[in-house]
Amino acid sequence: MKTNYLLPHKYKKLGWLLFLIGLIGGIVVSASNFESTGPSIKVLAIYSESFLNSKSHFFQIIENEIFDEIVSLFIIIGGLVVGFTKEKIEDEFIHKLRHESLVWAFIVNYIVLLFTIIFIYDMAFFDVLVYNMFTPLIFFIIRFNFLKLKSGDDEE
Amino acid sequence: MKNNIKVQRAIHDMTQADLADKIGVSRQTINAMEKNKYVPSTVLSLKIAKLFKKPLEEIFFLEDDD
Repeated sequence: MKTNYLLPHKYKKLGWLLFLIGLIGGIVVSASNFESTGPSIKVLAIYSESFLNSKSHFFQIIENEIFDEIVSLFIIIGGLVVGFTKEKIEDEFIHKLRHESLVWAFIVNYIVLLFTIIFIYDMAFFDVLVYNMFTPLIFFIIRFNFLKLKSGDDEE
Repeated sequence: MKNNIKVQRAIHDMTQADLADKIGVSRQTINAMEKNKYVPSTVLSLKIAKLFKKPLEEIFFLEDDD
C-alpha cells in the first residue's frame, strides 16, 4: 500500500529509543516539580515573558535551563517517529488500525481534558496543560500497539 | 461481509502466515479477515480470489445487514 507520510521501518527502533528516553526524562522532570531543569545555556527567544514582572520581550537572547526542552523534543520527535514509521509489513489493515487509533486518541484526549477543566484548578491545571502536550501522542501509540497485539494473537 | 478464507486455506493446506506471505499482507490481516473483523479492499479480495483460483463470490459473501 502506498503512503506519502510514513517513514521507512528502519527508523522505528530509533524512535522508540528517543521516545523512551524522553519519557524517563519527563518523569524525572515532573518528579522534581519542574525544578531540576538545568544546565543553563543562552537561547534565542522569539518571544518570552518573565514570571515575576510579566514584561515581554521579542527576539532576545536569554538564559534558560534546557533539560525540560530536550525532554519535550525527545518525547515528541520519538513519539512521531514511532507512530508514523511503516510496520515490517505495512498493509491496508495496519492502515485502518493506525487511523482508528488516531481518532480514538484524539477523542479520549479531549474527554480527559474536559474532565480536568471541570475538576482541576489553579496551579495543578498548569501540570495538566504540560502533560496534555504529550498525551495525544502517548494515547495514540499505546492504542495502536494494543490493537496490533490483539489482532495478532490466537491463531488457529 | 463473510468469507470462507479459512476453508480455502485448509483446502490448499496453507497457514495464515503462508497466505499472508503469498499476497503480501501481514498475518494480522488474514487473522482479522477470517474472524470477520476486517472487510478487505477490492484489491485485496481480488488477490485472494486469484490465488485460490475461484470467482470472488465463492470466497466472499454479503450478509443481510450489508
